[in-house]
Amino acid sequence: MTIAVKAPEPEAADATTLARERLERARAICDAEPEASFENVWHALILLEDPPLVRLNRSLIRGRTATVQR
Amino acid sequence: MDAPQPFSDKEIAFLEALVAGGVDFLVVGLAAAALQGAPAVTQDVDLWFRNLDDPALMRTLARAGASYIPPTASTPPLIAGAGTELFDIVVHMHGLESFEKEAGQAIRIRLGRVELPVLPLARVIASKKATGRPKDLSILPALEDTLRARRYTLNSDGSGS
Repeated sequence: MTIAVKAPEPEAADATTLARERLERARAICDAEPEASFENVWHALILLEDPPLVRLNRSLIRGRTATVQR
Repeated sequence: MDAPQPFSDKEIAFLEALVAGGVDFLVVGLAAAALQGAPAVTQDVDLWFRNLDDPALMRTLARAGASYIPPTASTPPLIAGAGTELFDIVVHMHGLESFEKEAGQAIRIRLGRVELPVLPLARVIASKKATGRPKDLSILPALEDTLRARRYTLNSDGSGS
């Protein structure tokens, strides 16, 4: 039986490569800074890939949603 | 269709008016931290003004169709008017130096059309530590880890990736 394996979409491949690179950076930072939490560093690295306006809007959207749900 | 963003053109226009009007202010608090990449949530954008009696501030507010509501015994000073709902006025920052000293160390972050003076993340951390409030202390690990992450990812302009 032959199983067809679909090649990843170019965008998905890029996203995977980016995520791998980010993972390596996060690990390297946590190795160099033993007090750091991997999750915090990982999320900060994701946010640092966005422009400041996007970072601010993410923060406000989550902050305001949390208030509405209280 | 993308969902409307809380911080959009009208908020940027208000900040642009403050900068163009020569008003001395800093973006502080968790909004400043978020701008620098911290995974922190906030409901508003805190603005620390050098002088709330500054005629330039009053002129700018009037031009922007906003107004200043002075503090009372039970309410803080407020800005009212379209495009200002997200902004809170800060009159005192715990654990920091004078406005002038902190403004001298501010970083510049471009937000759309305007370049804003922003309290550096290390100073946001210092102010959160100084308040000693549980909600401020609980966010410190995320802020400190962001500072660590930034040390390894800063662009040559110091603004972050």
